[in-house]
Amino acid sequence: MKTLTVTLALALIVGASTLSMGGVSMKADNVVQLRVKNDPTISFRIWFKVGSQNDPQGKEGLSEITAAMLTDASTLRNSYEQIIDSLYPLAAGYDATTSAEMTVVYGRVHKDNLKEYYPLFIDAITAPAFKQSDLDRIKSQVLSNLENTLRYSSDEELGKAVLYNSIFDGTAYGHITSGTVTSVRSITIDDIRSFYRKYFTKDNLVIGLGGGYDTTLVASLRSGLAALPAGKPAALAPPRPASVKGFNVTIVEKDAPATAISMGFPIDLLRGSKDWYALAIANSWLGEHRNSSSHLYQVIREKRGLNYGDYSYIENFPRGGMRNVPPQNVSRRKQIFEIWIRPVPLEAGHFALRAALREFKAVVEKGMTKDEFTLTRNFLRKYVLHYAPTTMERLGYAIDDRFYGLQGSHLAMFRSMVGTLTRADVNKAIRRYWQFGNMQIAVITKDAKGLREALVNDSPSPITYKTPKPEAIMEEDREIAVFPVKVRPENVRIVPVTEVFR
Amino acid sequence: MKTILTGICLILLLSRSWSPAVAETIFPYRVHTEVLANGLKVLLIPMDSPGLVAYYSIVRTGSRDEVEPGKSGFAHFFEHIMFRGTKKYPGAMYDSIVTSIGADANAFTSDDITAYHLKFAAEDLEKVIDVESDRFQNLHYELADFQTEAGAIYGEYRKNVTNPYEVLDEKVRDIAFDVHTYKHTTMGFERDIKAMPDGFDYSRSFFNRFYRPDNVVLLIVGDVNVGKTMALIKKHYAGWERGYQPSTVVPEPPQTAERTGEVSYQGKTLPIIDIAYKGEAFDPTNRGFVAAILMGELAFGGTSDLYKKLYIQEQRVEEMQGSLPSQRDMPLFEVVAKVKKEEDVPAIRDEVYRTIATFQSTPVDAQRLADVKKRRKYGFLMNLDTPEKVAGRLATTIALTGGIEAIDQLYAEIDRVTPDDIMAAARRYFTPERRTVVVLKGARQ
Repeated sequence: MKTLTVTLALALIVGASTLSMGGVSMKADNVVQLRVKNDPTISFRIWFKVGSQNDPQGKEGLSEITAAMLTDASTLRNSYEQIIDSLYPLAAGYDATTSAEMTVVYGRVHKDNLKEYYPLFIDAITAPAFKQSDLDRIKSQVLSNLENTLRYSSDEELGKAVLYNSIFDGTAYGHITSGTVTSVRSITIDDIRSFYRKYFTKDNLVIGLGGGYDTTLVASLRSGLAALPAGKPAALAPPRPASVKGFNVTIVEKDAPATAISMGFPIDLLRGSKDWYALAIANSWLGEHRNSSSHLYQVIREKRGLNYGDYSYIENFPRGGMRNVPPQNVSRRKQIFEIWIRPVPLEAGHFALRAALREFKAVVEKGMTKDEFTLTRNFLRKYVLHYAPTTMERLGYAIDDRFYGLQGSHLAMFRSMVGTLTRADVNKAIRRYWQFGNMQIAVITKDAKGLREALVNDSPSPITYKTPKPEAIMEEDREIAVFPVKVRPENVRIVPVTEVFR
Repeated sequence: MKTILTGICLILLLSRSWSPAVAETIFPYRVHTEVLANGLKVLLIPMDSPGLVAYYSIVRTGSRDEVEPGKSGFAHFFEHIMFRGTKKYPGAMYDSIVTSIGADANAFTSDDITAYHLKFAAEDLEKVIDVESDRFQNLHYELADFQTEAGAIYGEYRKNVTNPYEVLDEKVRDIAFDVHTYKHTTMGFERDIKAMPDGFDYSRSFFNRFYRPDNVVLLIVGDVNVGKTMALIKKHYAGWERGYQPSTVVPEPPQTAERTGEVSYQGKTLPIIDIAYKGEAFDPTNRGFVAAILMGELAFGGTSDLYKKLYIQEQRVEEMQGSLPSQRDMPLFEVVAKVKKEEDVPAIRDEVYRTIATFQSTPVDAQRLADVKKRRKYGFLMNLDTPEKVAGRLATTIALTGGIEAIDQLYAEIDRVTPDDIMAAARRYFTPERRTVVVLKGARQ
């Protein structure tokens, strides 16, 4: 009875301090709520303020593996087999995402099944067993992903990983969340225990709750998570990557069937500021992800048929091949501008690199035209609606709003800013944050020495087509083929694929 | 005369109906169904989705219909061509209209379906109906556009073959099927993809044969008003002429003996074994087929004894799953495992065979069967929360059956499956004569 009173009182306090903003309740404490009455499901997102930036040196991958030891492993109460058996009939589950700065344990369940689901979810976070056999299985998966999948069967993701690693080399962002083969092999149960005790604490989390839940669930979650260790780890300063001078190229050499290219440079811009939204308009025009409205897509794929797509980014966008709209909970305090050229025929690699850089240079120098600006503004105003149609996605955005310290909803702000920003605002942001000439470039290809030669000599790179192309395109091709992208010999690094993530 | 009139009235009544959302059906939304005089079937599903609509044009044709030699991959290729526009709205203008309304437009092709889908703000419904109805009736493209698109297809193929599972799928189909068009993947044989630039005339005939109202279903889900939407649909689609000419897909003769093969993957990967059995076409009233789907989950799914043994306890496989797809003709029921040590591949294969033998001889535990049924129900219900998800979930069923009645039939039949049915399905489908086994190995280790 006593417990019940406390729970009710807590619920009342929570209710009273709630300030509603576009459906999302933001509060001063560590709870983000998004109640959707007629949603038959309940979404959980528990954000721990830890990520791959907190991996100790030599133990890269520890944050990701620790999170997996919560969601894909045994607890003190149940073996992993018992857990999957219990979750199975509920068609529910939980998982964790780890990025540079965030680890989020998330799950979703139909409210009919909450009673059975809830204790499993809480146990996963607060009572992990940290069994050696679970660690062996998880490490084996991570290693296989590094040694097989990333190196040999996903050149696009490999290119992006190499780009991020080169830009952030020497900083806390300088490794992918999965770490390296050597570091992952060295991770022990003791490493995981101490990392968990330090970072997965009750003072280092934010509770996200969405959907058709009863308000008493908030108090239950609070008391459930109170079983976590205490302690607030010291915050790290944001990374300060070295500024890029000239074109710096990392060529990963492998027996690749096609050439994959990723390139970019760090930018000092985060969502929430007016310039971010202005640059987002320019970026959407240049390369909206997986959308034929992307200008790079039009030039490289649509007119020339060289590949499957070409896009650009001003925020981290992992696993781009697997999703159509931006992910949630991969927020970070330091972002890069990035261009992604999906695999092109080996012989067209140098040409495609030039084609993309030539378009980028043009927008940097000339800005957006009136027509481009108007079209993109109209597009984004509604397209942003598709970024988060589900409760789980909107909850993810609400957590990210908290990460960036925003008072309102980023998506609501996005739509309203798109309506008020002018072309001059956008072109000013382009001049301020984009530049041509200083760029890290990652290329996955077969003939690395040949490409280095061509880049260093800035040799012409004409291409031929199997079928005739209109004269306008042939004319433009002649310009692209000699577009200057001169790279100094000392700025080209060739890495055999077996050395990557070693 | 009177009789004929009555007949017509009945047809009208039947073809403009609200399916009642009654308690024993699983699908939670009301569906308005209407068939236009030209055969175009329209399904409207209003749902609470503030300002958003999903719009699917479902062509009941896929790579299954590529019966002519040398033309594999054309259904998917044609999906790309559909974005090249019309005289009224050329490709660039189509893109620009879609862009200006902030719609998300895309398409997909598989063995049995080609679907074009957009999600957009409800206020733009009329614009979408205008451009979509236009391209389905008046597609126009030049030889040069056609040939450029062929280059993009080859790019997509190159992207795909870096994935070992795609390489394996290609090989398994090629060995398992002799005459049926499921012999090739939706991408098509590589030699046919290379020859695509020469298929301009063929592409025109493809459009004329398959892109007809009597082979298409429109599915519109979200924040829509039925009366207004139907009026717009009629205005824009009524003039589309019927004329669907079905392909003559040659049925695959019964397989009489086990087949085996190997395939090499250009990159590095752990070996993958694919054990495939000739299954049966999707039929929600066929108890055997429905029981087989459940058996696939019970025997090889994420909580099966075999999965726990090989993946969790002994850690001999890195991935394992069963795949029992719903298809228009006879599909492959597959068990696929990525094995940690190459020398262990035969032993893993034998573990799969032993599991099947157990299911053939021992009735499954009633509680486990109940768990699978519950999971399927909640798995379905939890993923109907946006117009896009509802439409995406229904599209394949519509392509296979022409409507969505099969959804309720399927879940009703699932409820009736007994442990004896599971045992019978294991005996019926999972026999050596129906089997094809292929092992993929990485060329580089």
